Amino acid sequence: MTTLDATQGRLNIEASADNYLTHTRGVLSWILTLDHKRIGVMYLFAVLSSFFVGGVFALLVRTKLLWPDAVSWMTKEQYNQLFTLHGAVMVFLVIIPSIPAALGNFVLPIMLGAKDVAFPRLNLFSFWLWLAGAACVIASLLAGSFDTGWTFYTPYSTRTEFGGVVWVLTGVFILGFSSIFTGMNFIVTIHKLRPPGMTWFRMPLFLWAIYATALIQVLATPVLAITLSLLAIERMFHIGIFDPAMGGDPVLFQHFFWFYSHPAVYIMILPGMGIISEIIAVHSHRHIFGYRFIAFSSVAIAIFSFLVWGHHMFVSGQSSLMNTIFSAITFSVAIPSAIKVFNWLGTLYKGSISLTTPMLYGLSFLFLFTIGGLTGIHLGTLNVDIHLHDTYFVVAHFHYVMMGSALIAMIGGLHHWWPKMFGRMYSEFWGAIACGLVFVGFNVTFFTQFMLGSHGMPRRYYLYQPEYQIYHVISTLGAYTMAIGFFITAMYLIHSLFRGKLAPANPWGGRSLEWQCPSPPPHDNFPTTPRVGDCYDFSIVRWDEKEGGYIVDRTLDPELNPNAPKRSSH
Amino acid sequence: MNALFTTLATATATAAPRLTGGFWLPQASSTSAASVDWMFNAITWLSYFFFVLIVGIMLVFIVKYRQRGREVRAGGPTHHTALEVTWTVIPLLLSVVIFYLGFKGYLDHVTPPQDAYQIDVTAQQWSWNFRHPNGAQTTDLYVPADRPVKLVMRSEDVLHSLYIPDFRVKKDVVPGRYSTLWFNAPTPTGEDVTLAHNLFCTEYCGKDHSDMNRKVFVLAQADFDIWAENERTKLERTPTDELYWRVGPILYKRCVSCHTLDGTPGTGPSWGPHDGLPSMWERTRQGLQKFADGTSLKDLIGPGKEFEVPEDYLRNSILQPGKHLVAPYGNAMPTFQGQLSNKAIDALIGFMKHLDEFDSKGVWKKTPPPSAPAAEPKKTADNR
Repeated sequence: MTTLDATQGRLNIEASADNYLTHTRGVLSWILTLDHKRIGVMYLFAVLSSFFVGGVFALLVRTKLLWPDAVSWMTKEQYNQLFTLHGAVMVFLVIIPSIPAALGNFVLPIMLGAKDVAFPRLNLFSFWLWLAGAACVIASLLAGSFDTGWTFYTPYSTRTEFGGVVWVLTGVFILGFSSIFTGMNFIVTIHKLRPPGMTWFRMPLFLWAIYATALIQVLATPVLAITLSLLAIERMFHIGIFDPAMGGDPVLFQHFFWFYSHPAVYIMILPGMGIISEIIAVHSHRHIFGYRFIAFSSVAIAIFSFLVWGHHMFVSGQSSLMNTIFSAITFSVAIPSAIKVFNWLGTLYKGSISLTTPMLYGLSFLFLFTIGGLTGIHLGTLNVDIHLHDTYFVVAHFHYVMMGSALIAMIGGLHHWWPKMFGRMYSEFWGAIACGLVFVGFNVTFFTQFMLGSHGMPRRYYLYQPEYQIYHVISTLGAYTMAIGFFITAMYLIHSLFRGKLAPANPWGGRSLEWQCPSPPPHDNFPTTPRVGDCYDFSIVRWDEKEGGYIVDRTLDPELNPNAPKRSSH
Repeated sequence: MNALFTTLATATATAAPRLTGGFWLPQASSTSAASVDWMFNAITWLSYFFFVLIVGIMLVFIVKYRQRGREVRAGGPTHHTALEVTWTVIPLLLSVVIFYLGFKGYLDHVTPPQDAYQIDVTAQQWSWNFRHPNGAQTTDLYVPADRPVKLVMRSEDVLHSLYIPDFRVKKDVVPGRYSTLWFNAPTPTGEDVTLAHNLFCTEYCGKDHSDMNRKVFVLAQADFDIWAENERTKLERTPTDELYWRVGPILYKRCVSCHTLDGTPGTGPSWGPHDGLPSMWERTRQGLQKFADGTSLKDLIGPGKEFEVPEDYLRNSILQPGKHLVAPYGNAMPTFQGQLSNKAIDALIGFMKHLDEFDSKGVWKKTPPPSAPAAEPKKTADNR
């Protein structure tokens, strides 16, 4: 029974040794689990493993690019496969599932005070589908690999002699269903399982972001499935759909592909923005600034994301009129993004900013996303994009957004919720060092690529003009720096699992429900669904020396305790 | 790493080619480059402003409002509608202005003038062919200076994209349709390769995508007219016995990305000796070539067989490359039917026959005889 403890003012959940990690034991208890927390942890492990593999591919590509000429240890075919694999693994196996499926799965039901997501079996099935999809990608390597680029542009992808194309298409098709099921599950969970007191505009902003993401996942991913099926049909049965030699239209493929893949960019970045809203509010210990603007901007981004796919095709031969329309709509996406950045800045104002490791990642995000967003203006502007399209400028831009923003947010969220997930604290000292290395390494790697691209260096080049070499060398050294940072991160996180200090329920001073249940949470999260108030009202959060962490003093919240002293509202 | 530093050291010592232009953009060598650059710079300065603003405010707040001890100040406003509307409307207005300027610049940038000089471009894996109105064909792009030039482009196989950074122009080359771009390059580069502009393929097109880069030479109109006439009559003016060294190496540039001369494996069989086989010409003459279907060339050449003489097989391989596939190579070569005249094919076959006279890059090792009859005509009016 959840009651208000009069002396402590906390959700009185009996502290016991039982938590979701120790609730049942054995391999089967994980493989067949319906617990969203365990599924989230398995996703996390799978996604981080894929991140390691995709990162190794990236380092190999960058190492080749130290030299402008052919190198003996990597052929052109191998290089083309490596950049293709890097893109496909990072997009489909890492970034798309990373935040919603791994962190979202763990946190979302707890934030709602629910015992689980709406459809726990569907949730497990979605993870199995992810595994099946990943297995198909591995099978494609055995079946002869593929070198089409992650974009699978026709007619090259129909004609290439590498045998793994249909396998990887199948893999991405299945991964798409995994993504759709997760999205559906989250939509229903947010609609039906919100606790008493949590109206739509009382939801933590992470949930708004996940909700907007889930809408895109459910609406856009089927288009990808259809497109890839058509491509596989063309390749296997020689039915002309995209290949002009068989009567098809290659530009049609680009329309289909980007109709999914542009919204997919927001599937990647929106949850990241949600995490940043949480991190910045919690680690500034202050109410988020402009809640409604941030929430609506997530929905606005989700809607606009469906209308801008043509900006990937300004030089594809699509008509000038279409280019004009798509350029105009593209600028509309800039506005909700700008609103979010300004509101995060507003949240820092008059806060109590603690520079913890999650906050360092949060602030890195602000820095990197600003650069990623601003360089998007160059690319949305028609005549400038003609020069920059398909150069390293584009490569740098989307790495600033996809890696510098989405992935940095994911790493930040991982550090934010790590004590909650595993009940252990990691070393803040090494956390800060690793974050610094990743931040510096990232900028050295990718800022250089802006300059390469604006000077005309095309992407996906094995050989290049010698005048570009110095930039490539700097960029590669940056990539090595980043790799060291991630290696240190892996080390201290693994170390914390075994030797880390036991984490309090609320190490950072969070206000939402996940900080009011023990770390790690018990199997059922909460004995009964708790009532909630304003989840960004930090005035009832205070440090408790005995606890070794912060506590949310629910007796002070007039919405939860009618006898609470009246306070002036902000 | 040592090897790397040595490479870098030598690169610096031998005055490696440097990037042209400024910190962000390469040299602007077309008439419409200026407006693109203006727009790029305007957006970049706007970006500097907002970046400094955002990161500056962030740093000030981090220092000013850092947490002391374990305090939870929880102060500050939760929203401020006027402020939030302001920072919604300002980006909105800026976006409208930037969009409009970019759109206007774009229309000027993509609409070719009526009197443009047209060059027909064919892209294929992995070479470019530029065909002039007088019939001259080249693998590098030669254009007249200070005159609008329009490229009408098509692809023989997959997507390609033609990009000349110094001109700020780019357009995909799509199979099954024509695409076009135009530019006007006012300053001649002459035939000096160090001054010439880069031309890249920017749409990934397979294995040798990064080999599809060529040079753009801008010639003053008078020089260009002479060049074009020379280029057109080059084959006709060249005596048959000089074809292989005068024309062969030029034509070989279209083959180089797949066929090496020194036996190194490529997308297609090397023309040089490799894996115990003699050179392409010798293995053709002796019928040593093995095919994917198990047959060998011996069965195909001879009186009454498919090919009367070895030359006939080579000619057929250029025009119908998929007919007999040499093991273990795939069907990757595009046809050159309609692109090469009989004399051009003679030149290529001659080039293969005299392969020992060329170095591994296809440069003729001998010196031309002093009284070369087919030397370039002097730049005089009666040669036009």
